[in-house]
Amino acid sequence: MSTGDRYALEVEGLGKAYRMYPGPLRRVLEGLSFGRYRGHHEFWALRGVELCMRPGSSLGLCGANGAGKSTLLKILAGTTAPTEGRYRVRGRVASLLELGAGFHADFTGRANIVMNGVMMGFTRREIEAKMDSIVDFAELGEFIDEPVRTYSSGMGLRLGFSIAVAVDPEVLIVDEVFAVGDMYFQKKCVDKIYAFKRANKTILFCSHSLYDVRQMCDEALWLDHGRPMAQGDSVSVTNEYSAFQRHHIGAGEVTKDQFPPSPRAAGRSAEALPRILDARIYRLGADEECYRYATGDSFEIRVWWENPRPLETPIHLGIGFMRQDLTTCGGAGTQLSGFELLGTRGCTVLRVPEVPLLSGHFLVPVILLDEGGVHRYQEFLMSESLVVRTNTREVGLFRLDTSWENRDLPLPARSSPSGGAR
Amino acid sequence: MSSESPADPGWISARPTRAVEVLERLVSFPFLLARHRDLVSTSVRRGLEARFQGTLFGWVWPLVQPLFLFAVYYFIFTKLLHQRIPDLPAGEESALGVYMFVGLLTWSGFAEATLHGTNVIVENGNLIKKLTFPSELLPLNVTLVAQVTQVFGLLAFVLLCLFSPIWPAPGPGLLWVPVLLLLQGLFTFGLALFLSTLQVFLRDTLQFVGILLTLWMFATPIFWVPELTPPEALDPYRWLFDGNPIYHLVCAWRGALMGDVLIPGRVPPIHAVSVAGIPHAVLVFALWALLAYVLGYTFFVLSQRRFADEV
Repeated sequence: MSTGDRYALEVEGLGKAYRMYPGPLRRVLEGLSFGRYRGHHEFWALRGVELCMRPGSSLGLCGANGAGKSTLLKILAGTTAPTEGRYRVRGRVASLLELGAGFHADFTGRANIVMNGVMMGFTRREIEAKMDSIVDFAELGEFIDEPVRTYSSGMGLRLGFSIAVAVDPEVLIVDEVFAVGDMYFQKKCVDKIYAFKRANKTILFCSHSLYDVRQMCDEALWLDHGRPMAQGDSVSVTNEYSAFQRHHIGAGEVTKDQFPPSPRAAGRSAEALPRILDARIYRLGADEECYRYATGDSFEIRVWWENPRPLETPIHLGIGFMRQDLTTCGGAGTQLSGFELLGTRGCTVLRVPEVPLLSGHFLVPVILLDEGGVHRYQEFLMSESLVVRTNTREVGLFRLDTSWENRDLPLPARSSPSGGAR
Repeated sequence: MSSESPADPGWISARPTRAVEVLERLVSFPFLLARHRDLVSTSVRRGLEARFQGTLFGWVWPLVQPLFLFAVYYFIFTKLLHQRIPDLPAGEESALGVYMFVGLLTWSGFAEATLHGTNVIVENGNLIKKLTFPSELLPLNVTLVAQVTQVFGLLAFVLLCLFSPIWPAPGPGLLWVPVLLLLQGLFTFGLALFLSTLQVFLRDTLQFVGILLTLWMFATPIFWVPELTPPEALDPYRWLFDGNPIYHLVCAWRGALMGDVLIPGRVPPIHAVSVAGIPHAVLVFALWALLAYVLGYTFFVLSQRRFADEV
């Protein structure tokens, strides 16, 4: 076989143009003229995408709204045709492009599983065989036998994702839909995606959460206005993207999804909103920027911020330490400590003496919050993750402050059954 | 067959659909149907259930609707306008009512599917955009749902004939029923494919189809008997029947369900109700059905790749 056979997905010069008609009349004239009259102009939603994915690899798409992420996923899922270029997918594709697509609101969860399954080309018998595993994974309880219109959007996601993964595809395509899931189900989805990768399946995934892209994907593709801006390993691509975003936020060009204005600040120009200018990790008390430490080392995190209207929009900072499987291992917040950030700009430092974390890679999200600690003005992604090495053989997440000793004590008398029951 | 298929199988590109591929699709439709039979049966069931779910009378509605319409038209044409078939033998006085009922049953099965089918692609835009499945099954689904409803009406009619003195129970003519259902389905499906595709690109289609169907209904002898009009008055409009596929379909249905009930040698004879006339009517309609299927499906296949961008 040819060398191309090793790839699960190949994309060559893929592009998609939408025809934009000023009105229905132009469309009719164009249709009637058999190509002699052109009543539309083309809008290139995507152009010049090249991709090769081996089985077992995963690709994350990032970029602003309207960058062409969903268009690319739609083409690869087969719902829309490319305008130029070509692609090839090996094996069965399952896609989750939208929550509850194809669900019929009046039918029960079970009936919708059957309906969705047969639309994916399965027989009823095959779906019935998978029914229990789908129902178990979705964990909807009694709701599985209720009409889907009674579901919350999170429950719709549970059902949709459960069906998509149950069909056991070779290639899984997921558009940004995880946002509505609760933490528990998000964790389940992440675990499932890891399991997919271990099973040598290929995953395409689109998210505005750069953490998710970094965590779940080996590679990333950053699209802007339909053109690929950067492509490669997910850490460097997301770094480039967030650097670009930072630059644009600094320049006042802010898109809503990356930088949501609070309800109070709505209608105000982006420059008036608080923002993080930069955040870096240094050795404690030194000016040496460093991201690699051993357990017990000391460091500090410096955050430069700007808040043009401190009286109207008081701010707080939150910093977390998040392991690769999205377990938050620890964190600190100025609102929790009662620390105040005053003035229009400043540099706030979090001191972390003798870090007790045991070895691992940690993402360090820096979050700019409103005065209640509820609304997030910005989530800042540092260019590097924190690497902690442990030179001893300790196990777990943290070094606990423990000590051993031997004592000469008698064995306690066994408590009576009645006492135990009480 | 295709220049790049043997070298690089599986590539999906921007090249337009080839004539050979269209032909392949036309011929292999039964296989597509077999492969997706569970999808077809599930969505037909869903379509029927969705229509009556939550209603108090549920499955009674598909029976009540044609009966109700029939009652209204029967009253207008026979009581108010005094249309009647002369010289009917005893036991067959209700011939005109049955004539109208069979015509209406056929017509509503066809018209409902055509009207609903016109909008089916646009209506299900979300499915087209987000899921991958053969979208020709959407117009098919509409056609089949209308046919199941029609079969309900047929059953009601046969039961009525068996257990009441209104009309003699249909005889061997019933053997034509599967053929007629198949051909009617093919014709309606082809028309729905064509109109639903047109509707994607030109949203005025639905309005136009609504008007067209009304005109078409009155141009077809559903509620009136052409043979009751003097021949010299009718002859200039002969082409209206000969060129109307639904006229041939209705003739075949009437022949199959009513049989040779009218007095032999009566002048003028009613062509529409005659077992002897069925093969001819079926043949003419079969040609129409094939034409509708080929044209409709071809148009559909050629335009299909643009659906997701336009709905």
